[in-house]
Amino acid sequence: MTMTIIKTEKLCKTFSSGGIQQHVLKNLDISLQEGDFTIIMGSSGSGKSTLLYAMSGMDKPTLGEIDFAGKNLSRLNNDQLAIFRRNNCGFVFQQIHLLDNMSVLDNVLASGLLGNKNRRQTIHKAKEMLMQVGIDEKAWSKFPTQLSGGEAQRVGIVRALINSPRILFADEPTGALNSASSDSVLDVLTDVNRKGQSIVMVTHDIKTAIRGNRILYLRDGVICGDLQLGGYSEQKNAERHEELKTFLAEMGW
Amino acid sequence: MNLAMANIRKSKSATVSLYTFILVAALLLNIGLMVITQLNMFFDQKAEQLKDPHVTIVMNQANYNSTHEEYLANYPGVKETETEEIIHMNLANYKFGNGELTNSAVMYNADANRTIGTLKLVEKLDASSPNDIFVPYSFKTVGGYELGDDFTITLQDKDYEYRVAGFFETTMMGTNNIGVMKFMLPENSYQSLAAELEDHSKWISLSAVMKDSANSAELENDFIQDVRKSQGEEDTPYIFGINIEMVESVNTLTINIIATILVAFSAIIVLVSLIVIKFRVSNNIEDGMANIGVLKSIGYTSGQILSSIILQYTLIALCASVIGIALSYALMPYIGRVISTISGLIWTQDLDMGVNLISILFVTISVVIVTLASAFRVRKILPVAALRGGIQTHSFRKNHIPLARAKGGLHFLLAIKSMLANSKQNIMISLIVMALTFATVFSVVLYYNIASDKSAFVDLFGSEPANVYIAVKPDADTRELMNSIEQMEYVRKVNIFDTIETRVDDQNIYTNVTDHYDQLENNVVYEGRQPKHENEISISWIISNHINKGIGDTVEVEYGNETASFLVTGLSQSIGNSGQIGSLTMEGIQQIQSNYKGTTLYVYLDGVSNKDFIQNVQEQYGNSIIETLDIDENIESQTSMYTAAVFAIMVMVLTINVLVVVMILYLVIKTMITKRRKEFGVLKAIGYSTIQLMTQISISFLPVVVIGVGIGGMLGLLFTNPMLSVLLSSAGVKRLDFIIHYPIIVMFCVGIILLAYIVSMLVSLRIKKISAYSLITE
Repeated sequence: MTMTIIKTEKLCKTFSSGGIQQHVLKNLDISLQEGDFTIIMGSSGSGKSTLLYAMSGMDKPTLGEIDFAGKNLSRLNNDQLAIFRRNNCGFVFQQIHLLDNMSVLDNVLASGLLGNKNRRQTIHKAKEMLMQVGIDEKAWSKFPTQLSGGEAQRVGIVRALINSPRILFADEPTGALNSASSDSVLDVLTDVNRKGQSIVMVTHDIKTAIRGNRILYLRDGVICGDLQLGGYSEQKNAERHEELKTFLAEMGW
Repeated sequence: MNLAMANIRKSKSATVSLYTFILVAALLLNIGLMVITQLNMFFDQKAEQLKDPHVTIVMNQANYNSTHEEYLANYPGVKETETEEIIHMNLANYKFGNGELTNSAVMYNADANRTIGTLKLVEKLDASSPNDIFVPYSFKTVGGYELGDDFTITLQDKDYEYRVAGFFETTMMGTNNIGVMKFMLPENSYQSLAAELEDHSKWISLSAVMKDSANSAELENDFIQDVRKSQGEEDTPYIFGINIEMVESVNTLTINIIATILVAFSAIIVLVSLIVIKFRVSNNIEDGMANIGVLKSIGYTSGQILSSIILQYTLIALCASVIGIALSYALMPYIGRVISTISGLIWTQDLDMGVNLISILFVTISVVIVTLASAFRVRKILPVAALRGGIQTHSFRKNHIPLARAKGGLHFLLAIKSMLANSKQNIMISLIVMALTFATVFSVVLYYNIASDKSAFVDLFGSEPANVYIAVKPDADTRELMNSIEQMEYVRKVNIFDTIETRVDDQNIYTNVTDHYDQLENNVVYEGRQPKHENEISISWIISNHINKGIGDTVEVEYGNETASFLVTGLSQSIGNSGQIGSLTMEGIQQIQSNYKGTTLYVYLDGVSNKDFIQNVQEQYGNSIIETLDIDENIESQTSMYTAAVFAIMVMVLTINVLVVVMILYLVIKTMITKRRKEFGVLKAIGYSTIQLMTQISISFLPVVVIGVGIGGMLGLLFTNPMLSVLLSSAGVKRLDFIIHYPIIVMFCVGIILLAYIVSMLVSLRIKKISAYSLITE
């Protein structure tokens, strides 16, 4: 039996600008299960990224509660949230955001050594994970600007996973990549999910979304649809694709 | 112009920092230059305004005759002379500042008719009383007196009580560093004092005004020589003279040093401003690369873009320096007070357009040159490269401190990585901190030696650091008394140490006489050695220059009416007595005057207060003693004006240092946070807390600050004494050994480091305001 890892109640997020209020998330009640690869889809401005960052403790909701593995995120201050993220979350960004003044290995260790006391073990783990995603030793001392987009994003994934987070949050991780690079990144994500890693990913790309086992569709800050696709299998790719397309069509995609 | 104004508006806080630096630099520069350029003129103008004499000779009435006045009146270049009776109180004692001062006091009759040195009261009481006294203005500025205060002057254990009825300005004998103080008594008070004192206190004052005050020292020298000659075989006359040249050099010395320090410190602040401009211009070009690309692509020439950058900084420099100069006039009354403290004269500051223009032009031209040099690379940037964000400005060919291999805590390693990635910025901060630390060490050493442990400062005056001075009666046996005092409890040692006036190759000099110079505790000889034998003498380098003789040469020394030849064995330094000193042994002076026995004892104590000892010695040997003097208290009183002035300088230097450190770190860290906003956002997103990032930032500046403080501190330790020697060389100093008190220096250096760390933490606190989410999305 799977366990609920995130549960939101009446989650609201409102932005104010020039006296005008924009309600981006409206009373969302969502439950995410451990081990799931949850995809959040929706049109531009529907609140996908806002929901992702609110659930991960990167941003604070305007109203409502977020229960993350038994911890109420709404009650934590910024520094408590930072420590919470360090111990429970991993992030993969569309713009990758590797630290450009650090080498590949240092980018991973800057996160890994923060969350782990055992230095030697962390370094070993970082190197092993980099190898697993296809970043060989020659690239470890390179700087992010010397990597291809796909390589950089795979380093980003290793950085996100080095502390063995409860959930990996990915915000359009293939948005800035070409097709070949996208596939390699998605393969890595699929692989880690198969090993039990919970993932929440925002995307507007069907080819990417098909990797998930659950699709949430967001429109104007409200969940309009929730599709259970089942675990990813290359053999059933065409079927899944069709099912997702139908779902999205129903949602007015 | 529009571009320049837009740039200024865009970077308000950086503009404010730079504006403040330039304002402070222009302010200090203008004050320093105004004082330096006007100081000598100030003395001449004061002398003219007060109609003060250029030479004043005071001599015992017994030694005076009318031919002396004739000699003075007929001396070439003398315009006007005047002679009047005065009262002379040798070794008069009175409260002055924090201590008691013992020196010669001369009392003038305030109601006597005179045309030279008339009484010009700055402040006075309206109602008069029978015991009124008028005292020099320095009694108010340093002496701690106010109108109506009681004033007691003690002479040979007898107190004379007065009421301070007014303060007067005088260029001659108005401060406690000349060795003689002038007072003025109303007719009745004057006559009653004259009646009370014995005949040997009745003296004559001869004053002369010259066409050219530059000849005043020569006149004084020649006059005293003439008087001595006219005395024939009689005893050495009681006479001394003061000339405006000497007074000016003594009084302007400290003021000039202070003004020079102000100018030097302003140069440091200008340097800081220029370094900041270099940093800002480089940053602005990097940050605004895309804008430069757009401007170039729509047809702006490199010259136009360059002009806008130069105009931006020129506007700031011009504006700040003009305001700084205006403010310098507002601050001049405070500086004027420091000058009054030292000179005893009221400083009035007029508008000095020439100096103002020099200050503005110096600052502005420096800014333009550095801006131009820093911004010149704009010319080489192609529009297409600029639109792409420019050439990759950071080179990451070397991964400093790889985390997998380096030892140490994660935050420390990340801080060091960050530090090593910003070498240009680090050099800038190090240079600034180095200059500021040097200025701090310099001012702290100066203050410590003038206010706290004065021994090295007192040594400069050529003073012997004994504790008590005893003037022995002429009929007493000086050596017997010395031996007796030496046996007293708590007496460490006693030396005969006289200072007499002699002539060395026709130059009047103050000559020290003692038995053995190796028994003294202040060796004023910096080259060669003090005399050991009866035919040897050491002379100051100023006298050496005057008579063009040095070590190994023979000089003629005249004392009374006898002359003998002496071999120069050493060159000495002293800023006391205008640096005109020499030293003979007791046997040496006895070559000239065989019955010379010395009349002054210097007593060195251990374990007893000077006052208690003086009381004991008076009780036991009062019959053989004319006067005793607490040397420590006298020094305390004489140096109080220097202490006040140097304290003001130290406070100013430290305040500005704190301001600069705060503003520089604010500027750099703020710029850094803005530039690395996204990076900090990512670090926050992956779990770094605000305090961890703040600590990283602060630690990343620490090594740079420590290096700057270390080098600046070392330079301060090594070069403070040589720099002060240069500043004081004109006054007679060749070797200066100010005490470097390491604990205080280390304390201030650690203070700068702590200040930098605290400021870094406070400035980087702005990271807290921004959420990880907004850092990424912005």
